[in-house]
Amino acid sequence: MDIDAIVAKYRPVVSFRVKKSIGVQTPDWEDVVNEVMINVVEKLKKGEFRGDSSVGTFIYTITSRRIIDFIRKKSKVLKHAPEPDPYLSPREHVENLERAQWIADSIKKLKPKYKEVLFLYYYQELSREEVAKKLRISPRRVSERVNYAQKLLRKVMKE
Amino acid sequence: MKKCKFENLIDEYLFDRLEETRKKSFEEHYFGCPLCFEKMEEKNELIAVIKAKGDEIFHDVYAPSKIRQSWLEPVLAFLTPRQWAMAAVSAALILVVAIGIIPNLKTRSPEFFINDDLVRGSSINLISPVIDNLGQVPSEFRWQSLGENTEYKLFIFHQEVLLWSTDTNENYVILSEDVKSMMAPGKKYSWQVKAFSPEGTLIAVSSRVQFNFTSSE
Repeated sequence: MDIDAIVAKYRPVVSFRVKKSIGVQTPDWEDVVNEVMINVVEKLKKGEFRGDSSVGTFIYTITSRRIIDFIRKKSKVLKHAPEPDPYLSPREHVENLERAQWIADSIKKLKPKYKEVLFLYYYQELSREEVAKKLRISPRRVSERVNYAQKLLRKVMKE
Repeated sequence: MKKCKFENLIDEYLFDRLEETRKKSFEEHYFGCPLCFEKMEEKNELIAVIKAKGDEIFHDVYAPSKIRQSWLEPVLAFLTPRQWAMAAVSAALILVVAIGIIPNLKTRSPEFFINDDLVRGSSINLISPVIDNLGQVPSEFRWQSLGENTEYKLFIFHQEVLLWSTDTNENYVILSEDVKSMMAPGKKYSWQVKAFSPEGTLIAVSSRVQFNFTSSE
């Protein structure tokens, strides 16, 4: 079993899950990820992964337990701490401003019907059905437009 | 790009719309599905950019969307569909009352029959001549005045055919010799007066009264 390859493959997934659960603004999120990955490596080395489930499920379980522990500890501390900053999820956090501007410019160039659907669905966070009602199209068509807009943007985002 | 049957849960997951069991199930799934994870990262980045720069990106989309929302949707959202239905029924009832009852409360113009014709308006009382068998052709036709600013039209008929008519603002007409000469002794004539407002609206009608005369002197 190539442990390094497993770490390389699963670190981004664990990072995403941790950031989504405890908030990207929490400075501890990287520590939590590191602890999870160390724990994964230790368990793999000790042979605790017996192949009853997939590696992904094995790492998911370790990650979830660590997140729960973190939140429990944080809650105890926060009882006597000042009011924390508002929760900011990863979807509200732009890491690379230059790249973000590049993507924003690409969205601006989309046809109005794609921009409109992205505006309602992602910016205003309306449900697929609400967007469909507003644009007088079917929910299926909403999904098609969102997916097609992403397909157009994918090329830019992968550069 | 290949598709996974779980990828339609990505948006719902990112917007925290999945209930706990499905959320856990999807999380476990993307730990083992590189396809879903890749698409989720991609969507997450896109949403983050849209959230951060939405005002800039969509400044031209705002207008039509806001117009679409500006008046109709808040109005529609003001009441539930059931309340709108009740309001429509109430409005219909009010309309029925307004159309069916209120007009009857108004003072209506009198209606009466003249020569089998239903006439709406006031009646005019004819003063003279109102008796048959006159000695000679009447020189003056007089009726009740309906006040100032009333225009009258006098009609003289021979049997059912209009012989002569004239307009006046007075409540009488003096016949000229020419008109008198159109009538002959022993024949049956009738006369009628109609009153009009200054705008030309018929406001009153008299009955048609018969007369004849015996001498042309």
